[in-house]
Amino acid sequence: MTVSPIGREIDRVDGPLKVTGSAPYAADYRPEGLVYAYLVQATVGRGTVRGMDVSRAEAAPGVIAVFTPFHPLPLKSPSGESGENYSALQDTAVRFRGQIIGLVVADTFERARDAAALVSADYTVTPSRTSLADAGPGVPQGLVQKLAPGVSSIDAALASSPVTITTSVSQHAHHHIAMEPHATTAVWVDDQLTVYCGAQSPQRAAATIAARLGVEPAKVRLICRYTGGGFGQRSPVWNEALLCAAAARALRRPVKLVLSREQVFTAIGHRAAVRQTIRLGAEADGRLRALSHDSDGELPAAGGWQMMPGRDTSAVAYRTPNIRIDQRLVTLDTPPTWSMRAPAEAPGMFALETAMDELAVRTGVDPVELRLRNYATEDPVEGHPFSSKYLDECYRVGAERFGWSRRTALPRSQTDGDWLIGMGMASALYPAWRQPASARARFRDDGRVAVASATSDVGTGAFTMLAVVGADELGLPVSSIAAEVGDSALPPGGVGAYGSSVTTSTVPAVQAACRAAVKALVQSAVDNPRSPFAGLAPATVRYRQGRIEANGRSVDFRTLLRTMGVPHVEAVSTSAPDKSASQYKFHCFGAHFCEVRVHRLTGEPRVNRFTSVFDVGRVVNAKAARGQLTGAIIWGIGHALLEADPIEPDGRFAAASMADYLVPVHADTPEIDVHWLDRPDPHISEFGARGLGEIGLVSSAAAIGNAVFNATGIRVHDLPITIDKLL
Amino acid sequence: MRLNVTVNGEPRQAEDVWPGESLLYVLRERLGLPGSKNACEQGECGSCTVYLDGTPVCACLVAAGQAEGREVRTVEGLAEGEALDRVQQSFVDAGAVQCGFCTPGLVVAAHDLLARVPEPTDPEIREALAGNLCRCTGYEKILDAVRLAARR
Repeated sequence: MTVSPIGREIDRVDGPLKVTGSAPYAADYRPEGLVYAYLVQATVGRGTVRGMDVSRAEAAPGVIAVFTPFHPLPLKSPSGESGENYSALQDTAVRFRGQIIGLVVADTFERARDAAALVSADYTVTPSRTSLADAGPGVPQGLVQKLAPGVSSIDAALASSPVTITTSVSQHAHHHIAMEPHATTAVWVDDQLTVYCGAQSPQRAAATIAARLGVEPAKVRLICRYTGGGFGQRSPVWNEALLCAAAARALRRPVKLVLSREQVFTAIGHRAAVRQTIRLGAEADGRLRALSHDSDGELPAAGGWQMMPGRDTSAVAYRTPNIRIDQRLVTLDTPPTWSMRAPAEAPGMFALETAMDELAVRTGVDPVELRLRNYATEDPVEGHPFSSKYLDECYRVGAERFGWSRRTALPRSQTDGDWLIGMGMASALYPAWRQPASARARFRDDGRVAVASATSDVGTGAFTMLAVVGADELGLPVSSIAAEVGDSALPPGGVGAYGSSVTTSTVPAVQAACRAAVKALVQSAVDNPRSPFAGLAPATVRYRQGRIEANGRSVDFRTLLRTMGVPHVEAVSTSAPDKSASQYKFHCFGAHFCEVRVHRLTGEPRVNRFTSVFDVGRVVNAKAARGQLTGAIIWGIGHALLEADPIEPDGRFAAASMADYLVPVHADTPEIDVHWLDRPDPHISEFGARGLGEIGLVSSAAAIGNAVFNATGIRVHDLPITIDKLL
Repeated sequence: MRLNVTVNGEPRQAEDVWPGESLLYVLRERLGLPGSKNACEQGECGSCTVYLDGTPVCACLVAAGQAEGREVRTVEGLAEGEALDRVQQSFVDAGAVQCGFCTPGLVVAAHDLLARVPEPTDPEIREALAGNLCRCTGYEKILDAVRLAARR
């Protein structure tokens, strides 16, 4: 009997390729005749390009072509797809500093870069709107309100509450910093385009590229088997990839475009800067009467992700009779924004969980107890029950593992030499999302089963998820499954790798495809005249652990396929949520507990240790799950202590490289104790997985901020929490 | 210039090299060794770490001309035939690989650490690898991998 691999510590099937440097990423392809492109970007914040001098660039060694708004590559305008709202080089408008205004192609990368530096532009400059504080308040986009009978307004509910807390927090732009900079290698063969380009949603990206180039969707294939991180920034197709494909078409030869890190900061979207105010009204014992969450998020004129930090956070987290979520967007002349891991939930829950900690301090109620007193068993606005919620168990198990009972509520009451020690906690939640998904299972005559879905493995472990689920369903070892993702030519219906939804959505599709493939294999075994089972009724033939059995005969599928002379038997299946799912609210939950130390003299904050317990439904692969959850918690260290890119009045990002924009490194990370409850969600699917790629980041920054307050008595509302704010 | 460099034990030549282009570019685009990754071009992230005459360097910061006549060893040259190096195997076994883009540089950096310090302490590992960014932030598992490799 094969032991099911589900939930076990399974090695990544793509691991050996990655540790030897043999997994090809977008920039690793070198087709015959390849030439290199380099971007030219606007150096003013807003205005018009009056003219450009490309003569020196065109005369530079090795230069093949220089494209500008005055000598453009043709691209269609975006029509409804997400991302930037204009096509590069199609007009002379400058919408933000760093907008692409040229593309230089040369025989080597160095020559293209050198020539790009020789391009000059004259601008008519108009003043930029770059300050969220100065330009706000924004335009209301998503008002959510529920008031108890007889309550006239949220202000009235707050005014009548015995205890009120008002907390305003802010954070600057964040960058995804996927380790792989954006890169595209575009190859045309006749009228067929193959694009090697990291993408979270290969089929959607291929369709976008086709539409913007004005070619039939079937003419574009996008390959992203290995992608060096996504985190949201590879969900849309950005102008750079379109220009690369268009240049390859115009020049009739393959073109590679690799962005520098600085170019990624502006040519690719960032997480919007956002300012938020939480107002809580509570009884003296901490029970909430009213919760108000206002936000002003950056929305670039050039287009981007709408920052709505209250909807999936404050509107869901706690039981309260009165709620008002007012999410406003402020138009700025900044580079485009885009979703970044827990895009709205990380900032939103930082605000809410900071305010909850202030309420705990004010009421003298322990932070865990305060959250239990306000525990929601149903969606507080819509009234739908949660499909499965064990957050209370997360609190209990987490507090026990962490040693929360040793915390003292009084700030500055624990020290270790010159270090002030503090403990803090916060609760996390993230929406669970099951999309319709498709997968293919193919029994092959080499003895393996190919399980494929046109999603993307951006480091999450999707390859291995397919292998584990396929192996479990077919009763085979994981090594007998050949997993395939990251190719738009796979059967239609692969889901995008965003919203923590790939596993939730794809597992049921893989199960269905494997079952259908078994059925097809059995049918083939009885239909094929060369089969030892020819002529039997399908009901009398059974599949078991890779073997076809009937009438006392047992043949493995490899032998069967070879005997029949059939190279493979396959099935494609699609799986979608049940209609009954609409009665439930699907969310993942978690509880973070954190200990920090802050140096008494220098103010340096360090994270000592973290314990986090999650309720994420059923887990497919413990090794991958721990990697995702732990990594996301460390992102919370960045969110709390390191990451910020303020925008200057002229529209320039203050940080333009990994030297200026700090992300956590080995030396910043403590021991992290991650644990999950193994409770399959009974309503999301038969399997019960809810997705876990983002929840670790939600509220981990708040737990750190709350611990910093416990250590120092200083509440930092404007992230990141840096030394200057703790002195 | 014509660049002569020994890569993973093999003498290699590249023609028409501009001496100022990076060793990383030469490896990736001229010699067909894309294992070393380009992620920052400024020595911040360590993704392009290779050995140059036995010393780990960021290949993005080494000019091609500086590599003339020297020996380079990349992530592609660590495994002995089909068998993975102990550091590579430990990265797979410990779950230290996620998106994999930082992995080649980290594997070389960890390989070097263990060559110099056979039994490193945790703070030594964290410090030695602090110059290698991993945005999947798999640092805990990478630490496990180095500990595991040290025991092998």
